Amino acid sequence: MLALVVVLLCCVVLLAVLVAGLLRSHADILRALHDLGVGVGDPRAAPAGPSTTSGTTPVPVTMGPPLTMGPPLAGERHSSEVYDVAGVTPTGDAVSVSMRNRGGITLLAFLSSGCATCAGIWAALADPAAAGLPAGVRVVAVTKGPQFEISADVRAKAPDGVLVVMSNQAWSDYEVPASPFFALVDGAQGRRVGEGVAPSLERVADLVRRSTADAGAAGERTRQAGPSGAAGGSVRLDGPGREADNDRMLRRAGVHPGDASLYPRRLGDVFAGAATPADRR
Amino acid sequence: MLQAHGIAARLPGGFEGRIFRRPVLGDEVPRPVAHFATFALPADVGDFGGGAVTLMGPDDIFAVLFEYGPESVGTALFARQGMPRRLGPDDFRPAVLRRGLGAQSGTQWFFVEQGRPFTLYAVLGHHGRRFASVPRLNALLGHIVVDPADTAAVQATGLAP
Repeated sequence: MLALVVVLLCCVVLLAVLVAGLLRSHADILRALHDLGVGVGDPRAAPAGPSTTSGTTPVPVTMGPPLTMGPPLAGERHSSEVYDVAGVTPTGDAVSVSMRNRGGITLLAFLSSGCATCAGIWAALADPAAAGLPAGVRVVAVTKGPQFEISADVRAKAPDGVLVVMSNQAWSDYEVPASPFFALVDGAQGRRVGEGVAPSLERVADLVRRSTADAGAAGERTRQAGPSGAAGGSVRLDGPGREADNDRMLRRAGVHPGDASLYPRRLGDVFAGAATPADRR
Repeated sequence: MLQAHGIAARLPGGFEGRIFRRPVLGDEVPRPVAHFATFALPADVGDFGGGAVTLMGPDDIFAVLFEYGPESVGTALFARQGMPRRLGPDDFRPAVLRRGLGAQSGTQWFFVEQGRPFTLYAVLGHHGRRFASVPRLNALLGHIVVDPADTAAVQATGLAP
């Protein structure tokens, strides 16, 4: 009889341990699901934890980003961020293209050597001006890295004089969904001003023309606002850049260092025709 | 990290660069050339900045690291050991420029680094801004690594993480 009781007691203890382990495992799974934002119930509510109260009051917690499966959604793209494009050339040299210099507008053309639509774009890159691309817009062709592209094929497709960077990282940074894909970067502002898929360079050129015209108009508006405004289409000049712009505007207006107009003594020195009561006296 | 032909550089913000070797022409043995700039480099730039320095703004910097053949090692021109890493504003002079352009100024150094003979040629967009520009150039020079001559010959081209 005693032996039976002992065996039953052992079974109860064993089952209790198993149940406790299962409950703990279940709690871990629920906590992980909550952290991913797909938990059972209200994901904004904290899982019931140790509490001195009845345990029914939800405790607010900070949630992480929601889990995203598959291609990124449009609203989740970092579409205005810019990243330097670094990789290798089809000839095996190393190259890094800065997107945050004062170099103005850069058009990144994400192409591949195999896609049929890209073939026409590769050919058009030989003479971007003929396709209608504004002068001064730098074109950089970006293919995937040598792991996914055959360098010799890219070399054969790329016209002479076109800068080609082979970089998987760039495709990832710019969240390129497919080729051909284009991203227009304003280096002065350090942001992407446009992106998308286009079947030909002519279609892209039209968008680029409009974008650069907008940037030019913004710069002109700022310049008209006063000598402290920005130049070159940028509205974010600061520090030495603003000082240089001021100097340039003053020189253009014929105001050089030591000019008397820089040291006004009366209101009339600043505003022609204006006279203060002191002047009139 | 930009890395090719036994030269590696970690570029400071705003810099772009290329490390390349010209195609072989005849009996010529092309040596590695590295270009670094704070402005948009054109697709085709001369070894010492032809086609690029004319595009510089007053705050811009252009630098070239040009390797010579091993026969130059031990000559008087390459007596200096080690690449200059910290230049001073007084090292730059308008007369050093290969082409005198506006208010630009330049500096040039011949040296041997890791058994490989190089020249460093750097141009500032405006001599009057050298006190602000030279520290930015030094930030670049401090992060250039040259592999020893024997390993550079067999080094594969690529990008380090």
